[in-house]
Parts: sequence; structure tokens; C-alpha cells
Amino acid sequence: MSLSLTTQYAVKSLGRHKRRTLLSVVGIGLGCSVCVFMIAFVRGESQMMLRAAAESGNGHLRIVPAAWAQTRENDLRLAEWQTILAQVGQHQGIRIATPHARKEGLLAFGTRSTGLEIVGVDPNTEQAANRLVRKLSQGHYLNGELGTTVIGQTVATRLDVELDDELMVTAAAQGGEIQSGMLRIVGIVSTGSKDLDATICHIHLQDLEQLTGLSGAGDVTILLTEPRRLSKLSAALEQSLPAEAKIVTWREIVPELASGTKIDETWTRLTVGIIMLVVFLGIASAQLTAVLERRREFAVLSALGMRGGPLVRIMIVEGLFLGLVGGLLGLILGGAFAHRVATVGIDFSKMYGEADMSISNILIDPVFYGDFGWWIIPLAFELALSAALLSSLYPAWYAARTDPATALRVEH
Amino acid sequence: MAADLMVEAQDVTKVYHTGSTEAQALRGVTINIEPGEFAAIVGPSGSGKTTLLNLIGALDVSTEGKLTVLGEDIKTLSKRQRADMRLHQLGFVFQAYNLMPVLTAQENVQFVLELQGNKQDSLERSQAILNQLGLSELAKRRPNELSGGQQQRVAIARAVAAQPQLVLADEPTANLDGENAEILLKLMRELNQNQGITFVFSTHDPRVMAHARRVITLVDGRVTEDKAKDSA
Repeated sequence: MSLSLTTQYAVKSLGRHKRRTLLSVVGIGLGCSVCVFMIAFVRGESQMMLRAAAESGNGHLRIVPAAWAQTRENDLRLAEWQTILAQVGQHQGIRIATPHARKEGLLAFGTRSTGLEIVGVDPNTEQAANRLVRKLSQGHYLNGELGTTVIGQTVATRLDVELDDELMVTAAAQGGEIQSGMLRIVGIVSTGSKDLDATICHIHLQDLEQLTGLSGAGDVTILLTEPRRLSKLSAALEQSLPAEAKIVTWREIVPELASGTKIDETWTRLTVGIIMLVVFLGIASAQLTAVLERRREFAVLSALGMRGGPLVRIMIVEGLFLGLVGGLLGLILGGAFAHRVATVGIDFSKMYGEADMSISNILIDPVFYGDFGWWIIPLAFELALSAALLSSLYPAWYAARTDPATALRVEH
Repeated sequence: MAADLMVEAQDVTKVYHTGSTEAQALRGVTINIEPGEFAAIVGPSGSGKTTLLNLIGALDVSTEGKLTVLGEDIKTLSKRQRADMRLHQLGFVFQAYNLMPVLTAQENVQFVLELQGNKQDSLERSQAILNQLGLSELAKRRPNELSGGQQQRVAIARAVAAQPQLVLADEPTANLDGENAEILLKLMRELNQNQGITFVFSTHDPRVMAHARRVITLVDGRVTEDKAKDSA
């Protein structure tokens, strides 16, 4: 099928001022590529942050006692946590589910002591669910042996302890009674973040039960294979839960990360909007100049009987063409950068030096990776085409308003 | 609808307003053009020749008076109806040729046919018209590859491609040398005689006037003389 002559006229007209057309395409392409790269980077960053948060012991989803959402009380327990854990395991898309119980306590060795949140875990599943405990610098993680603990390097430094030392752990038991016990250090974790290492104290779930007198798990932490399916899985799990349990997402577990991600996304949208506005104005100016230069031609076309609609179509086709080529350029440039950042990443460790790469007890990888996928193709063309087409509207309207008698009289 | 008269102008006046100044381009012009005429509108620069052609060509509307073209009162037509009239019933030839520079000669002719909605056979018809007017060897050339005379002949082909009843030509030979002007006028006259197309053209070139079968003289927006010649 051949193109109509109106379309051919529009496309061929772009070849009249090759430099202007080239600059327009490059303008669209560069603007589009910067936006594609930014969006890819922020998407990747958000996914990375979420992964870091989820794998720092928070999970993508968490099944908690119903009252926890309001009180955030660590003493609350899920009575039927083992049944819940079994039910969770039946759902597809669950990478791992592991129980936790938490209690504020005091660790002491000799005359030194430090307060922190003691976390009761299932050693069999915790290592797969928590990236922090895989950063062991000494010893090993918890195994079947009760009365043992894994602590962070900062805790070890504060208490001046080493492997196999026995720590005294003290916590308020049910009813307010103070209970103590002894725990042998089997492992020391060094995440690279002193702040984070000051918060780590893992013990067996059973040891915590014994210490506090509170039976059961405080939550079941869930990691998903595909975090994008979070909403669907959350809804599916919610249906199978007993009345006293509730499911919360990472947004409620780590609200500061959720709001940080939201702010990043909003800034990115704003920046993308500003870049595309600049592109839009540049293209609109170039297109309007093209219309003014061809005013006589538009007058002739109008004199020959061409109505306003086809005149508008000519400018829209020109905009469409600029948008398509600009989008392709933006895709190639932005896609190449996005692919590089998605595969090689950007290492921020040199920039931050010795500074902690942790936020809200979440261990952040200093190498940031962008997102890359097929979604970049429609995004690049959506950005480029919308900027090019919108910028063609005013010139198109101007062209359609050409009064042939006036324009041809001016020629005389 | 077959019209008895191609053009019927009664006391037509056209006033242009530029800011606070007013310019009266036509002052009570009354003329009739019959089908098959080959008429020249002559007069000095600024006499209103182009304005009169623009009004007859439905490019503009008169300020006062009544102008009927092909049976239609131009003033009562909407912008869209006037565009349709220009597309289907009128043909235009301009002094500066005004071919679309990015299209070939054949595409320029085909363009008008496509605008009319004849996309199916527009290529064949445009080729046939160029062939009929002896321009087939120029079909693939762009306007910048054609001489002024050749461009104007292509412009004639474009004007008659849509089979209009009336062709309006504004100073069609003004940019041509004597030989090319002669060729062009012969072409127009042939179309007039063989196909019955009515031609109305403006000029101040005496050689062109000599070909006209009727000469309408305008001075300061008024018809000062309207003289028909014997049939050729």
C-alpha cells in the first residue's frame, strides 16, 4: 500500500531543511534518552531498595497479629503461626516464609551492656530470607543448638566479646517480670554498616519463647519471587488467614522507605516533565517556523480546495515522523545507557567512601542497578511521540487558519 | 447543476481594512462571464484584477454586491463549501506557478485528484493529462528541475486535472519570456476550444491580451471597458 500524496508531501517537506529536521530529531532523541535513562534508573533503584528492605529481615509481606498494625507492639504473638506458615507455603510465588518474634532486651558481658531488639528466628529459613546474616565475619549462623546467638560486629565491639563468649540476656517477661538467660556467641555479623551491626542479635525462636514466656511467633515474614505480584498475592493470602491475623506490606513495615521511593518517583516524573516541556517548546518553535516559511504553499493548497483537516494532518504527520525517529534515537541512546547501568551498575561506594550504606536498618548495596526490559520501547516512543505530536498542534492549527487570499496577496 | 452564466457579478465592492486605513480594491464591478469564454481582465497594477479573480475563485468574499459563480452566491457559502467549490469546480493558475516543490510534476497533478477523493485512478489520470498536454517527459521532474515555462504548463495541467468548469489564472505569463508565454496561451486556448473549459485570466501583457476573446479593463477597481472580439 502506497502512502497518500498528502503524507508523502509532509514527509518530503521535512527533507527541505535537513539541518533543522536533524536538530529537531536530535532534540527529541536526547530529551527522550535522558528521560528513558532516568526512569530506568529510578525504577531499578526502587526495585533494589525494595529487595534490600525485603531481604534485610522485613520481607515483602508480613503476617502479623491484627492489633500489631495499630500498636506495633512486639509482645503480640500469632497463636497459630505454624498453620499460617504451612498455608503460606501452598501459594505460588512465595520465595520463602520464615517466622520471627521480637523483644527489646539487654545484652551484658561483665560490666558492659547494650540494649537492642532481640529477634527470635527459625535458623533453617532465616539465612535464606535475610541477607544480613549471610555477612558473617566470624563463626557460623545459628543451627539446631539452643542457647546460642549471632550478634552484630558493633554489639561485639561494645561488649568487647568474641566467639564462644557467654552473654547474659535480660528481657521483660509476660506480666512484667524480668527474666535472664545465657547465650553463647556462635557468630558475628559484619554488614559494613556500624549502625546496622549495632542492631543485630538473633536467637532461636524457642529461646525467646523461654525467655519471655510469650509463645508463638510475632510474625511470618514472606519474600516473593516476583515482587510485582505483591498486591495479588497479598489479596490471596488475606483470604486464607484467621481473624486474629492480618497481612501487611513492606510499605507499612518500612513506611520511610515507601515514602522515600514515592518522593524519588515524583521527582523523576517532575524532571521528565520539565525535560519534555523543553523539548516540546523547541519542536513547537521549529514547526511553527516551518509553517511560516511555507505559508504560501499552505495558501496554494487551500486555494486548490484543501480543507483545514488535511492541512492539520500534514503537520501532524510531520510531528509523527519527527517523534518516531526521535523516539528511535532516544531508545537507542537511552536504552544503551539503561542497559549498561542495568548490567554493570553504578558503584557509589567511592562517592560515599566510608559512609554507612544503610537506611532504616536496611543494608543498601553500594552498586546501584537500573531496570531494563521491553517496557523501555513503548516508553521511549510514548515520550517522543507525545512531545512531537503535542508540539505540532499549534503550528497545525496555525497552518489550517491560513487565509489563501491574504497569503497570496502578500506574495504579490 | 448547469449554470447559465459562469460568473455573474452585480455591483461588487471589496474593501480591505488594514488597521485604521481602508483600501477600496473594487468599486461596483458588474460583469457576466458565459460558459466557454476566454476572457482577460486587464489593467494597471493595483487596479483590482487579482482581487476580482480571488472573489470569483471563492478565495474571498465581497464587501458589498452580489457575486454568483456557477450558480452559487459566494457570500452565502461557508468556508468549507467554498473550499469544496474550489476543489471540484474551479482551477487555479498562479503567476509564480506555485507547484509543490517537494513533489514531482506528475505528483503535483495527482495531488489535486487525490484531494478530490480519486485515489484509485489518480496516478493513471495524472499521467494521461500530462501526456495529453505533451508533458509526459517532465513527469518525474521536480519543479526546481523545470524551466518557468515548463512549470507553468504543469500548473495548467494541475488546474485542469480535476476537470473544472472554470479556470482562473492570475498573470500566468508574467514570469515567462515571449516564446513560453505564447506556448502557454496556445495550450490554454486549446483547452478552452477542445474541452470547453472557461478561462478567465488577468494580465497587463499586450501579447496575452491579443489572444483573449474578451478583454475586461479595470482601472481603480472599476470596469472601464468590456470588449468582446469576434470568434476565432
